[in-house]
Amino acid sequence: MRADTDAGPIPLKIVVAGGFGVGKTTLVRALSEIPPLLTEESMTSASVGVDDVAAVPDKATTTVAMDFGRITVDESIVLYLFGTPGQDRFWFMWDELARGAVGAVVLVDLRRVDECFAAIDYCESRRLPFVVAVNQFPETDGFGLETVRDALALASDVPVVRMDARRDESCLATLITLVEHALARSAVPH
Amino acid sequence: MTRPDGGRVVPVYAVTKGRTRSGGRDLPVESLVTATDLRGALELQSEYRAIMALAVRPVSLVEIGAALRVPVGVARVLVSDLADSGYLTVHAPPPTSANGAPAPALLNRLLEGLRAR
Ligand SMILES: Nc1nc2c(ncn2[C@@H]2O[C@H](COP(=O)(O)OP(=O)(O)O)[C@@H](O)[C@H]2O)c(=O)[nH]1
Ligand SMILES: [Mg+2]
Repeated sequence: MRADTDAGPIPLKIVVAGGFGVGKTTLVRALSEIPPLLTEESMTSASVGVDDVAAVPDKATTTVAMDFGRITVDESIVLYLFGTPGQDRFWFMWDELARGAVGAVVLVDLRRVDECFAAIDYCESRRLPFVVAVNQFPETDGFGLETVRDALALASDVPVVRMDARRDESCLATLITLVEHALARSAVPH
Repeated sequence: MTRPDGGRVVPVYAVTKGRTRSGGRDLPVESLVTATDLRGALELQSEYRAIMALAVRPVSLVEIGAALRVPVGVARVLVSDLADSGYLTVHAPPPTSANGAPAPALLNRLLEGLRAR
């Protein structure tokens, strides 16, 4: 099927990743102009090319829920946000979401830092621009952002920001940092 | 088919005839589509009609999937069927750089738009 060439609205997307309970849904809800919707991606349809219903017994279809939200940026740009678990077994979905994405926000809860490693590895290996957003949970105020950068072995150009996913200005600032970073990256050869 | 209460009464694989990747496999989840032939659509099966109703304005694959309560892969097949039959238009994807990322000019507009909020 061919895509039409008429000038319609342009869809862009940002992926929001992180472990369970780190604030993905909260961030999408803070920014979205539509109630955050849950959608599901079916593992069979995304990971193997199935053309015959007999090969797809319904029970074998594992689905993964992802949050998504929408921001109408201007008269022609629509930004979609996808909140998705950053775990190895969901990479089939990441490949689809990362294709053509502006970049990713990797959310970190400093009490459970290891849960963001897989998402960071993924972004680095696919050269997907990303920012690390340290979500402000209780008992995590004492850490400096440079300590976080060291602990995660991040390249010096990767932005690390503090965020409170419950505040929309804070979430918006994180997105702006990501887009600035993606722009800076697009200026250097890959 | 979706009942008014949201329950699904026909297994969706019956509508897609089991195809989950046969058509439109390259359409990204955020692809936007718009209805072009609403009159002809009255004859369609209800799941297709539901998509046509959503597509009176540009709507994305992922929103269609959520509204119909089907996985995005299934929405993609249904949308491809409608596009192939001329009921709706798939809008062109954003211009990209050589590495597949959105073009810098587009990122600039996105940045300006977000800063203006
Ligand atoms: N203290 C604090 N709580 C947060 C923050 N972000 C999210 N939460 C809370 O953490 C819980 C889990 O957040 P949620 O968005 O559902 O996490 P998800 O599993 O990543 O989608 C919710 O009760 C949120 O209200 C934050 O920045 N600070
Ligand atoms: Mg959640």
